[in-house]
Amino acid sequence: MTQHIQHLYEVLSKVDGYVYPNEIELNWSILIVLYPYITGLVAGAFILASLERIFKLHVLRPTYGIALLTALSFMLVATMPLVSHLGKPLRAYEIMVTPHLSSAMAIFGFVYLWYLMVVLLLEIWFDYRRDMIIWAGETTGLKRFLYRALSLWSTDISPKAVALDNKLGYIVTIIGVPSAFLLHGYVGFIFGSIKANPWWSTVLMPVIFLFSAIVSGISLVMLVYIVITRIRKLKIDMPCLDTIASYLFYILLIDFVLEGLDQIHRIYIAEESFDVLHNLVFGRLFFTLFIMQGLIGTVIPLLTLGTLQFYKPKIQIRKAIYTIISPLILIGIFFMRWNVVIGGQLFSKSFYGYTSFKIGLIGTEGYLMAAFWLIVPFIILSFLLWLFPPWKKKEDDHEIQVG
Amino acid sequence: MPQHIKRLIGAFAVVIILFLLLQTILRPTSFGKIGHYRADAIQENKMKELHYAGSDKCTKCHEEMKTDKEVGFHATLQCEACHGPGLKHAMYADKFKDGKLPDSLMLHKPGSRKECVICHQLNAARVKIVFDTINNSMIKQIDPMKHNLVDKRNFAKLVCIECHNPHQP
Repeated sequence: MTQHIQHLYEVLSKVDGYVYPNEIELNWSILIVLYPYITGLVAGAFILASLERIFKLHVLRPTYGIALLTALSFMLVATMPLVSHLGKPLRAYEIMVTPHLSSAMAIFGFVYLWYLMVVLLLEIWFDYRRDMIIWAGETTGLKRFLYRALSLWSTDISPKAVALDNKLGYIVTIIGVPSAFLLHGYVGFIFGSIKANPWWSTVLMPVIFLFSAIVSGISLVMLVYIVITRIRKLKIDMPCLDTIASYLFYILLIDFVLEGLDQIHRIYIAEESFDVLHNLVFGRLFFTLFIMQGLIGTVIPLLTLGTLQFYKPKIQIRKAIYTIISPLILIGIFFMRWNVVIGGQLFSKSFYGYTSFKIGLIGTEGYLMAAFWLIVPFIILSFLLWLFPPWKKKEDDHEIQVG
Repeated sequence: MPQHIKRLIGAFAVVIILFLLLQTILRPTSFGKIGHYRADAIQENKMKELHYAGSDKCTKCHEEMKTDKEVGFHATLQCEACHGPGLKHAMYADKFKDGKLPDSLMLHKPGSRKECVICHQLNAARVKIVFDTINNSMIKQIDPMKHNLVDKRNFAKLVCIECHNPHQP
């Protein structure tokens, strides 16, 4: 029996003050940090793509295809951190075959399916159908088969059929924008609606999640575009990058202001949970919140991108700035998710104590597992870029807009 | 309707039909019998190994402890909160009536400074919220580094139960 008592000592060494027994261990670890992060990247990348399509920002054309394929690659992996977090991952399919509408968590199945099947896949299909048919004629073997199968063995590339594709694709994009907002707003909603947790429970949560999602998605597409152009040894389209950077600046600014508003509101109303959160923010969350999310992920990018709005240095310098700033923002948003998910579990709901979080390198909830699920989307993206190279598409696509 | 749109609708229909088909096969058999969950899950949880016996079981043999405890501050504490899970100890107790139980079945006897302070350590957070429901008093708290420390070099050896009766503190 002494080992039970021994275990209790070990466990209690993680705790400061008073915590309830079920708060000592964090149930949601790094994989649950990854889930809103990855979904955010999907929503953000898609919204960047739709800027080109709906708002006719043709200067963003070079990133349109990349943004869509990036969104798809990350969407395909979005559920995997959740599945591998389950104690019994092989039972994960049960949630899919027993849908219901009574819990916010269960709604994810519907939101996810809608976004994947009705928005992303359809938009990409309408966008690439003609090209797939053309490419099927130019290739052989497996690639040819894939193009044929994916275009559902259709052969009609008459101007009328292509115009219809464009029109339908346009409609899907219009449906897609609120869907992308819904997808990520939903992730914020899950946290925001947990009223027992004062760190999460704020009506601003869906909006904050949404804007940080857009910021992270745009940064990701920017980085992917820079890397791909470098690999292909082509000249970077600077007007395109500059436009993305200015959008990034404005949305990051909105995101920063929204989060600031949320914090100011918290400080001003100073509810009974304020002291515990104050100590949390200046204690266990100081590094991840102020240094990683605040300084590295927000202030430095804001100042740099802000300066670029007034003063344009040489192309080489701008390129270097974009190459450095986009990963910084990506890191910052990762830590924003971290601060929400992990931070919300570090203090006791009694408001009288704290627990601590330690993460291992290996194991189902370790760093390696998280790194794996962050690398897989890039592998999928490489495959998708090989199969559907946006730069080989016949241009003039969206010009044939009907109506 | 153009050919490719028909095929697209067909593809969606195939996916939906496949889903419905898979649903009938993969849906756990006991799902939905009682509510929106597997009814078998209850049975499976019932089958889980038990570890704790509960105070009633303990006091069947250790009656003197019950009378001790009943009048003290620890009256509402479960025996196993301090002594650890004791179902096996209780189950096999009858079989060793005449002799002692083997060491593997013996329960832990806490009483050192390290153990009592799990509850009784000075803790600013606890003072305000934890009340003894019978006497409406707070849990007594001490600073283990200062409380009655006769021999500072031998901190670990100072045993609380030498002065306090744990069953009637």
